[in-house]
Amino acid sequence: MNRALRLIRRRAISSIPVLLIVIVLTFLLLESASGDAVDAYLLSIGGGDATVAQSLRQAYGLDQSMPARLWLYVSSLAKLDLGWSVTFGRPVLDLILERLPNTLLLMGSATALSFGLGSALGILAGAKPESLRDRALSTVSLILYAIPSFWLGLVLSIIFAVQLRWLPTSGIETIASGKTGLTRAADIAAHLVLPVAALALIYMALFLRVTRAGMAEVWRLDFVLFARSKGLSRARIVLRHVARNALLPLVTMLGLQSAAMLGGSVVIESIFAIPGFGRLAQEAVSGRDAPLLMGIIVVSAVLVICVNLVVDIVYAALDPRVGASESGG
Amino acid sequence: MRLIRNLIRTPEGAIGLGILALLVLIALLAPALSPGDPLKIAARPLLPPFTDVNFPLGTDRLGRDVLAGIIHGTRTSLAVGIAAALAAIAIGLCVGLAAGFAGGLVDEALMRVVDAFQIVPSFLLALAFVSVIGASVPVVVLAIALGAWADPARLTRAQVLSIRERDYIASARVIGMHPVEIAFKEILPNALPPVLALSAIIVAAAILTEAALSFLGLGDPNVVTWGSMIAEGRNILRSSPSLSIFPGIALVVTVVGVYLFSEGLTNALAGRRSEA
Amino acid sequence: MTIADLSRRTLLQAGAALLASTALPTFARAQNAPSGGRLIVAADSEPKNLNPAIVASNGVFFVASKVVEPLAEASFEGKDGLSPRLATSWEGSADGKSVTFKLREGVKWHDGKPFTSADVAFSALSIWKPLQNLGRLVFANLEAVDTPDETTAVFRFSKPTPLQLIRNALPVVSSVVPKHVYEGTDIGANPANVKLVGTGPFKFTEYKPGEYYRLTRNEDYWAEGEPKLDEVIFRVLPDRAGAGAALEAEEIQLAAFSAVPLTDLDRISKVPGIKVISKGYEALTYQLVVEINHRRKELADLKVRQAIAHAIDRKFVVDTIFLGYAAASTGPVPKNAPEFYDADVPTYDFDIAKANALLDEAGYKKGANGTRFSLKLRPAPYFNETKQFGDYLRQALAAVGIDAQLVNADSAAHQKAVYTDHDFDLAVAPPVFRGDPAISTTILVKSGTPAGVPFSNQGGYANKELDDIIAKAAETVDTAARTDLYRQFQKLVAADLPLINVAEWGFITVARDTVLNVSNNPRWAVSNWADTALQS
Repeated sequence: MNRALRLIRRRAISSIPVLLIVIVLTFLLLESASGDAVDAYLLSIGGGDATVAQSLRQAYGLDQSMPARLWLYVSSLAKLDLGWSVTFGRPVLDLILERLPNTLLLMGSATALSFGLGSALGILAGAKPESLRDRALSTVSLILYAIPSFWLGLVLSIIFAVQLRWLPTSGIETIASGKTGLTRAADIAAHLVLPVAALALIYMALFLRVTRAGMAEVWRLDFVLFARSKGLSRARIVLRHVARNALLPLVTMLGLQSAAMLGGSVVIESIFAIPGFGRLAQEAVSGRDAPLLMGIIVVSAVLVICVNLVVDIVYAALDPRVGASESGG
Repeated sequence: MRLIRNLIRTPEGAIGLGILALLVLIALLAPALSPGDPLKIAARPLLPPFTDVNFPLGTDRLGRDVLAGIIHGTRTSLAVGIAAALAAIAIGLCVGLAAGFAGGLVDEALMRVVDAFQIVPSFLLALAFVSVIGASVPVVVLAIALGAWADPARLTRAQVLSIRERDYIASARVIGMHPVEIAFKEILPNALPPVLALSAIIVAAAILTEAALSFLGLGDPNVVTWGSMIAEGRNILRSSPSLSIFPGIALVVTVVGVYLFSEGLTNALAGRRSEA
Repeated sequence: MTIADLSRRTLLQAGAALLASTALPTFARAQNAPSGGRLIVAADSEPKNLNPAIVASNGVFFVASKVVEPLAEASFEGKDGLSPRLATSWEGSADGKSVTFKLREGVKWHDGKPFTSADVAFSALSIWKPLQNLGRLVFANLEAVDTPDETTAVFRFSKPTPLQLIRNALPVVSSVVPKHVYEGTDIGANPANVKLVGTGPFKFTEYKPGEYYRLTRNEDYWAEGEPKLDEVIFRVLPDRAGAGAALEAEEIQLAAFSAVPLTDLDRISKVPGIKVISKGYEALTYQLVVEINHRRKELADLKVRQAIAHAIDRKFVVDTIFLGYAAASTGPVPKNAPEFYDADVPTYDFDIAKANALLDEAGYKKGANGTRFSLKLRPAPYFNETKQFGDYLRQALAAVGIDAQLVNADSAAHQKAVYTDHDFDLAVAPPVFRGDPAISTTILVKSGTPAGVPFSNQGGYANKELDDIIAKAAETVDTAARTDLYRQFQKLVAADLPLINVAEWGFITVARDTVLNVSNNPRWAVSNWADTALQS
């Protein structure tokens, strides 16, 4: 436990410069944009004249110099103040907290599904390398990996929501339904099936391939050869020795993929009209809403750091070989 | 040569290489296979596929030849994928070499930048980058590369660290070679192979990212890409599904080919190493 | 009067057939429509400021017009093309310097307070004139609003202001908001800009960002027996393909503003239980326009502009890009504004040979590679159709030896590039004709608008004769004389081509058959839906 705490503290400290870099780079990117928040706002209201634009720029502090605005942002961020969203006219933190649960739900479910299914099928495939089963699973997973998630999302939605009507087409829950408790949970679950499937199938393919590759390596290791020579049953060897060791790289993979999944959810959220992080980011970009976009990027960066931290702690617990020392970063 | 022999010895490598070779051939011969501007309005709009020998895959909403789009799209998709991967590898190699070789503060600082790029969701970064700068092929390439260079940088650094202390580097240092010369002459060639194996994955991911960006309307309108074809076709996905299915198939085949190639390459490299 | 003409004319050819088969039967049922029910509608955007008194745009009206009412609404049958809402009558003085509105009695705000002429005066002077995007033009010369009693408001202008303009502008610029909610506050930041308080048939009940707006029945609505519906829910569906799927799956009952893409209409119209309606947008005509940067020396040459006009095949644009749900334009005023429309203007047939000849005459010969010169073309990203027209225009220009490079930018970047930085040669824009040329049309061609004003002449075009006509029309009180000036205006624009008008279109509504009284006025999608009903 102590070890974990030390790890957390060290990570927190080393994250600060990384977050600073993220903030400065995002800021510079938005700075180079053509058109600012006021242009975007005027467009959304169907036009306005130059004096209005000028007074709006003043009100939002957009007339100040770039370094001054950057400093203002960083110093208020140090006080955990994420600032004020120009396009929504609300605190950035509120907006993020409103959308975060949906994205976490989508990503969490997709991760769990892809991890579970991917590792299970990977073990099945890797248990008998080069068998027909292995070949079939590998091929299917490869094709799934190659299908763009937006395409899969569209097709799934047409088949299961429009044609068969088994599931809702979009949204996170039935709107204004007044459902509570378990019925609401069931309702949300039904809405999540298609987006989670579209996102998870692709990552499942990735996990499957990593598990399978890991198992192929482990088969060749001494202790497995030893176990085989002892005459242990194949199934037992697979589960006890081979799979367990093959899953370790998968845990690392999970940490690495969390950022990619967060990115992948952007398209899925847009297709399935899920009010999450990705949609908010798109709106922030199109509204040139610097504080909002930076808030989103900072929070997703913190999220990824946390996932990686958890992954490391789990890894340390699973694999006694990894001591308190950190591996690289 | 031995690498290629090793490569085609595995079924993955052989299939992957075959698919890639075919795609490269199509891309190179595109102007001959389908002369003229693929975006030209050539016939009646929404001609169904397999009905007209001049337009075997039919035409789209505006009457543009779908086959011409697929052929020329091969060019753009491969070019974007390969250019993005090259850019990512180039940045990654330089940063990784510098970090691993210099060590100390420089290493620390560079690796924090690498961390920064690794924890920001790369698609989010690409989305923001392209919408802010404006959608054109070079910007899309750069946006994808920006999200992809961190992995090769980390890998290169790890390779450099493991190679740096070996005897032949030490002796190079003793005979007074300049550090930069050592980095490029001695360390780079040895650190390169695993990074190159990674590059195929980056190409595949880049092609998918480009498609996703085009799907969200962030593609270059002056060239035809599979992603933009799918994006255009999706509004009529129900009535003319072929318009998004054909480019979709092209996309899947390409990504599968690149992926298989990379797996074959990794195996071949591993084989070479074990032979050595 | 004239808008009523239009309903009989049915300007949209392809729409006419559909209309005959689907929209008219619903009309017949108008009188004894059933009460109750929840109507779920697709919404593709979430305006950040929902106050129609400040933001007079269709995206805002779509939701807000059910809650906040204007003085009068557009109508197919009513006098002057209007039907009374918060005002029951309006009358202009002979000198054009005042307009007297009689207001409806017994109207209550949603918070229970009475609606009076003070609210109208406050809205006009504190919001419409200083803050509203369109009101700034229409009410530029508004000096004072007298309120002799609670139901009379007299608008006083410093210069003669045509009643015709005020009348035509009423549905768009006259949303009345409560004085007691806004007075003494920072109007732009008032929370009521999102949580609206109005007099309309529906109360604003709930907004879940990214999910929906919920409006519920106003029990105290002034019109007897209305509203019919218990609830209207605007469900946010940002993806273009989402609305069609949700309609088919019966998750929503109505999608307006062509939320179902034109390309999908043919198929979806054959789905049982779904109707496609092209009516109800007659007063919201969008125009497809090629904006021209006259600072480019080639484009400053009238012959080149004429050549470009001849290079565009309007029939292809209407038939293929708009699938027939549009009409070819002749000039800056659309056909469905018959009050002003003049067909007798110079026109430009699709004629590549002529275009080539004109370009040769202008001295821009084809080079060795078949190209005369290169242009930067920026299609506005707001609609599928503007982008597709951009793709088409590039090809059309290539056919006459002009190489156009398309620039794909998002809304904010496009806006900045065209209207502030003038970084374009040609741009494709979708301006709206709002019932009177003075509201948002003349600004597209008149000179002197400072950089940074969106949807205005930023192409550096200046024509003294045209400017004079526009200025004169703005102060001409006599309706016939004013109308005549706008006919001259159209002729001049069509002849000198400060911009090229290509096509004009209205939107399409797709609804389930159970939705009654759809599209029964020329601004239906942005009207109050008090009589809209659901058949159970």
